Amino acid sequence: MPSIQTNGLTKVFGEDVVAVDDLDLTIEDGEIFGFLGPNGAGKSTTINMLLDFIRPTEGSAQILGMDPQEQPKEIRQRIGVLPEGFGFDGHLTGREYVEWTVETKGAADNPDEILDEVGILDDADRKVGGYSKGMQQRLAFGMALVGDPQLLILDEPSSGLDPNGIQHMREVIRERAANGTTVFFSSHILSEVEAVCDRVGVMNEGRMVAVDTIENLRDQAGGTATIDLECATEPDNLGLGSVGGVVDVTVEESVLSVEVEDPSVKVDVVNHVSGHAEVVDILSESTSLEELFNTYTGGGRDSDRAAGEAADDGLAEAQEVSA
Amino acid sequence: MSTLTVAKKDFKGARRARTLWLVAALLAVVAGLMAYVWEAGSTQTDAEAVRELLRTVAAIMSFLLPIVVLVASYLAIAGERESGGIKFLLGLPNTRGDVIVGKFLSRTLIAGLSVVFMFLVAIAVALVQFGAFPVAVFVGVVVATTLYATVFVSIAVSLSAFVKSRSRAVAGAIGAYFGLIIINLGIPVISIESILKYLHQDLLGMEANPDLYNFVLHLSPLYAFQKVQNLVLPKELLSFPFAESASNAEQVSRGFGDSEVVAPEGLPLYLTDEFSVLILTLWLVVPLSVAYWKFNRADLS
Repeated sequence: MPSIQTNGLTKVFGEDVVAVDDLDLTIEDGEIFGFLGPNGAGKSTTINMLLDFIRPTEGSAQILGMDPQEQPKEIRQRIGVLPEGFGFDGHLTGREYVEWTVETKGAADNPDEILDEVGILDDADRKVGGYSKGMQQRLAFGMALVGDPQLLILDEPSSGLDPNGIQHMREVIRERAANGTTVFFSSHILSEVEAVCDRVGVMNEGRMVAVDTIENLRDQAGGTATIDLECATEPDNLGLGSVGGVVDVTVEESVLSVEVEDPSVKVDVVNHVSGHAEVVDILSESTSLEELFNTYTGGGRDSDRAAGEAADDGLAEAQEVSA
Repeated sequence: MSTLTVAKKDFKGARRARTLWLVAALLAVVAGLMAYVWEAGSTQTDAEAVRELLRTVAAIMSFLLPIVVLVASYLAIAGERESGGIKFLLGLPNTRGDVIVGKFLSRTLIAGLSVVFMFLVAIAVALVQFGAFPVAVFVGVVVATTLYATVFVSIAVSLSAFVKSRSRAVAGAIGAYFGLIIINLGIPVISIESILKYLHQDLLGMEANPDLYNFVLHLSPLYAFQKVQNLVLPKELLSFPFAESASNAEQVSRGFGDSEVVAPEGLPLYLTDEFSVLILTLWLVVPLSVAYWKFNRADLS
């Protein structure tokens, strides 16, 4: 039984604002699934339908084999939710919120352990009204973890978190997933999803334009990779054109940016450059998955027509892959 | 279980809101001051004076309390929708019905405690002034007033579940106060009676029908509260708002000038004191049901 399944899920706001358009999605038990897309792509609307906060115009969803509209309580008992756009009652403390969650779920968790797991144990007895955005996000994440849920639904979980917080949240997500929890989380930041997810879905303008593993998407992205070398003195292009697989070389002050066909060419570039100049630092970007993401999503709703066409191409490809 | 956890959390948060305490304290001050300045009539015993004081406090509260209760509860759910608190409530194993009922319970407890506290202050001051504590009337008036406050909690929470935003909830609360209290205060032109007579006689061209007008009046919580107090007050403190519909209407009206009070007899069932209990009960149940129906279908995002 899949953890999440949607069939032709559609949400139209008002007369003709199609927020989610005929979405078919299956998340298997035990997966970490990244739900990607620019702001306004329909991610939150989809999640809100999964949670029965809003009702689909057409189609249906199943969470752990249950219909959110028919068995909301049973579903909520077994999942953990970090919603988007939440708000706390500032009069309560962090501990009280976790205690309330534990009590509502009838869970056996020790609130202190949860608070510790998300790193706010020291502030547990302060009123939430005095929490920073990041601390509130941590608290909300902690509440989602209560009751060791079978499925975690996290909507933009890293918003408001500092890099440490994001790193820490990733670790917790990985740990929970290793213990068999299915994780479904949305983000508009590719690198965040890339770092933890088994599989990602890219949504744009209400439609799922690609669903695949990171690896396949990367292969599909093909294209180029980039390596930056910082040299002690300002280099020229050092005859890099003669190295096989180098596509482009740019020099900006002391930094040499080399675009290569394939990640394996990077080592050749480093070898070549180190023979001609003193290398101070190396920065390597793994692939241009970001570019693929931009291609699929056309840079969001503000995109020009060309990008939109590219997204359509991407859609066609994705359908081929899934076929 | 779920309704109780919703209620407990809501109560905990509301309890720490300073404005609520301020408002509850204000009510208590009003009641305490009334007791302090109260004087017994020349023919009254001390106990009679205190009974009349209690009835008068209730009468003042009949239009003050709705303001307080509406203010304390109109955001119970609309506020959660606007702030995003609803996402936690419904991300946890609670249904939308649990949220409405839980909020209603919590706000009822708050309103009930304010009412009890206010009457305790009044009776404490009265005890010092008059040395009398008419227990039965005290309990009766407190219960009746709590029921009345609960009706407005139901109205406010329902309104709060019915609307999408804070601003609409404000509009709704003001509208409810106007529609349920202001037009029932007997102010000329905008009183429900003049509106009814205008609609019924002038617009529809029907014969005057005082029983019908009285019934519509009785449907308002304000009149129902006045009538329900007759069930707990002694004979000399009863009020007869619909006496002209009684079979002995003439005697009753004459009775007002005399020391001997004549109770109306032969009132239609729907104008009796007992019927007011049914009306107040309907005010508890109907708004919440309608609000549940609407809230359960709403998109909450």
